[in-house]
Amino acid sequence: MFWMKPAFTLFAYENFFTSARVDNFLASMGHSSISVLIAFVIGFPIAVFVRRRVPQVAQHRVILLFILPFAVSEIIRIFALRPFLQRNGLVNDVLLKIGVINEPITAILFTPTGVIIGEVMSFLPFIVFSGFLAMEAVPKYVFEICEDLGAGPIRVFIDVIMPLAAPGIFAGSLFIFVNGLGVALLPNILGGPGAVNAGLIATQAISALDFPLAMAVSAIMMATLLGLLYIGHRLFNLTRILTPLS
Amino acid sequence: MNDDYSSKWGYRLKWLYTLLVVTTLMLPVFFVMYISFNENGFGARDYDFTFEWYGLIFSDLLMMDAITSTLILSAITVIFVVPMGLITAKLYKITQYPLTVVSLMLSPLFVPSDILGAALLVFFKNLNGAFTLFGEWVGVSWFDTWFDLGYFSAIVGLIIYTLPYVFVVILITMGRYRKEQTEAARSCGATAWQAFWHVEFPQIKAGIFSSCAFTLILCFNEYTRTSLLKGGFDTFTTVLVSQMLNEGMSEQSYAMSSLVSYIAIAIIGSVIIFTLVRSERLERIARAKAEPLMAS
Repeated sequence: MFWMKPAFTLFAYENFFTSARVDNFLASMGHSSISVLIAFVIGFPIAVFVRRRVPQVAQHRVILLFILPFAVSEIIRIFALRPFLQRNGLVNDVLLKIGVINEPITAILFTPTGVIIGEVMSFLPFIVFSGFLAMEAVPKYVFEICEDLGAGPIRVFIDVIMPLAAPGIFAGSLFIFVNGLGVALLPNILGGPGAVNAGLIATQAISALDFPLAMAVSAIMMATLLGLLYIGHRLFNLTRILTPLS
Repeated sequence: MNDDYSSKWGYRLKWLYTLLVVTTLMLPVFFVMYISFNENGFGARDYDFTFEWYGLIFSDLLMMDAITSTLILSAITVIFVVPMGLITAKLYKITQYPLTVVSLMLSPLFVPSDILGAALLVFFKNLNGAFTLFGEWVGVSWFDTWFDLGYFSAIVGLIIYTLPYVFVVILITMGRYRKEQTEAARSCGATAWQAFWHVEFPQIKAGIFSSCAFTLILCFNEYTRTSLLKGGFDTFTTVLVSQMLNEGMSEQSYAMSSLVSYIAIAIIGSVIIFTLVRSERLERIARAKAEPLMAS
């Protein structure tokens, strides 16, 4: 039977930090940050709209709509993105037909761009869920006061919504960030040589039966997560997220 | 006061944007459904509508076996995870340390599937090794297969994966429930079980049934943890992946994936309609109760 012989060593960490894996890890942090930003820009206004404008009785049902994509396996959803993003796929077809481009874009599928699109498509609902929960901390009368005082939408967003809803926004963003860093399926199916994340490094290490390296990558990933949680808690007091659940 | 209701077009545009985002997220799902009706399969130049692949689903024995084992995994996970979620949600309501409870319960959400799966895989491998050595030491082979990769390890992984979702769903439906109601029932002589079954359960059953449905959907569609912890290619998603990696997904697999999507969408749709009907009924009752007061 295959089994590891217990002995203390830091070799797996040395292996990680002295190889190209650390560069891939840092690059995937960059890609995840872009995904967080795009998901926030697309998804958070929906959470604000639902909380502010949709009648109370219908709010949860609108949010439930965002659960629908999860009705289908993540694998099928990600795999089905390929025909959309490939050279002769739907995205290129549409862009060609409306005249935005003259020839098909080849830099979507099997590149970090493809992975970022996959991350946004997979995790965007989570920024809507957390944003919706976060908006619980912003009472409706605050918006009425702002409007009465003549504050514009951008001013209201920066000076009112962001400070009050920051813990929820941070939690949603962190969720997308760590999953972008750790879900191997996305770079596996949509990414190319330049799109390797921590999850993929760990699963490749497992396939090569290098369990210490896989666990070292997992430990580094968890340390990153805990560090970010600590910073988030110091900055935004994350316990405020729990208020709607109490 | 300036309000979006006064600008109907602004309000409609925001609705349109919301529905557009939902539709975009659903595009891959719709695409799989579209392919499942094509007689010529995926990637073909011509599109000929057919129901043939749906008729052939049950002839794919490999897929049928995979679905049976996935259903067993999902059902056992539901049996364990829903009571666990309920108990911890009840604990959250009475504990003096809600932050600790909620942090522990939600922490698996923040650990990516591959990392959690890999960690559990190594954990079970080591546990198995330790028990096998122990068995050799005492001279019995009974312990050798206790922690082998299989249903047990996969179910542990799926419970860790789904527990935070079940906890949150039940906790949200517990929002209106007050523990004083249980205390009142106990004061009237009800046993702990009677107080739960006749007072608390009717108020939270929507959350419990929703979490059962949600857990089934999550387990059925989960790949990473199942493939790492179950081993082999004998569950719904692992069979799909093995097809994708080898000869490409079969037409029956597209039909099967679509069928699973229809069922899941129907379950979620039913939950939405059920809560809609229920909340409207509650509102009607509340209005009826308030009317005599307003009239007086």
